[in-house]
Amino acid sequence: MHDFMMWMQTSALGHFMRESGPWTYAIVNLSHILGVASMFGALVILDLRLMGVWSRTPLAALAEAAAPVAAFGFALAATSGIGLLATKATEYIGNPFLYIKFPAVAIGVVNALVLNFSPAWRARGTRELSQRENRQLAWMGGTSLACWLTAMGAGRMIAYW
Amino acid sequence: MQHQSLRRRLGTLAGAALVLVTVMVLSPLPLSAHHGWGGYMDAEFEISGTVETPVSVAGPHASMKIKADDGHVWDVVLAPPFRTEQAGLKEGIIPVGAKITAHGHRHRDAKKFEIKTERVTWNGKVFNVYPDRS
Repeated sequence: MHDFMMWMQTSALGHFMRESGPWTYAIVNLSHILGVASMFGALVILDLRLMGVWSRTPLAALAEAAAPVAAFGFALAATSGIGLLATKATEYIGNPFLYIKFPAVAIGVVNALVLNFSPAWRARGTRELSQRENRQLAWMGGTSLACWLTAMGAGRMIAYW
Repeated sequence: MQHQSLRRRLGTLAGAALVLVTVMVLSPLPLSAHHGWGGYMDAEFEISGTVETPVSVAGPHASMKIKADDGHVWDVVLAPPFRTEQAGLKEGIIPVGAKITAHGHRHRDAKKFEIKTERVTWNGKVFNVYPDRS
């Protein structure tokens, strides 16, 4: 763990975060928040829809808008997050919130991939889904909300340890 | 019909939010007006020592570490990077081993050797990182 964090901290990215000026960290931090906000905002709507809320709104239509926003938000959050971590990586060793956040992110990503490849999701808008398929989607929507709420909560608390 | 009930629902939500905000604002709980200073003691505090880790302006806060006379290594938390540099306290100005005094507020947790610093004094020079506070 220490070796990996030291490697991150002494990387070119680490040097850039620390030495390129007094506003760099703030801007990368802002990007991280914008990414998280976009991703979670889109997922709140999409995941609740998967769980049956707003059932009159077609899933396919909602997904067409929400899914790309969520994906873009995640990409922004992940990229900026690596920068934030590299700034002072070794100082985060032992911070319990990291050990909650990263597993939550990992499960969230795996869940998103499983959803993406599931027959139910792929069939959206093309045919009526079975009760079983709707239940599968609901579970994945609920898992998504739980994972990302956990990730965000733990992420915010890192600074207060 | 649907349009009317949506407006009423939004109205209820707005009303609830307004009540909540009002309650919070008028709350008798002592709200600290100090951003980030709440975790530190109210009394003014100072600690002197020799620089172990020189000033780093890597965000979110600039910092340095000193070895104090009590034998402990203290975290000298400074202002955010831009304001710390504005006070003249840039990286590389104070060398490792230099004797400095940090004035500010000690962390409330007695087990933490951390000072949230208002000004640093070195060689008679004062670096005031929070000029509106000192």
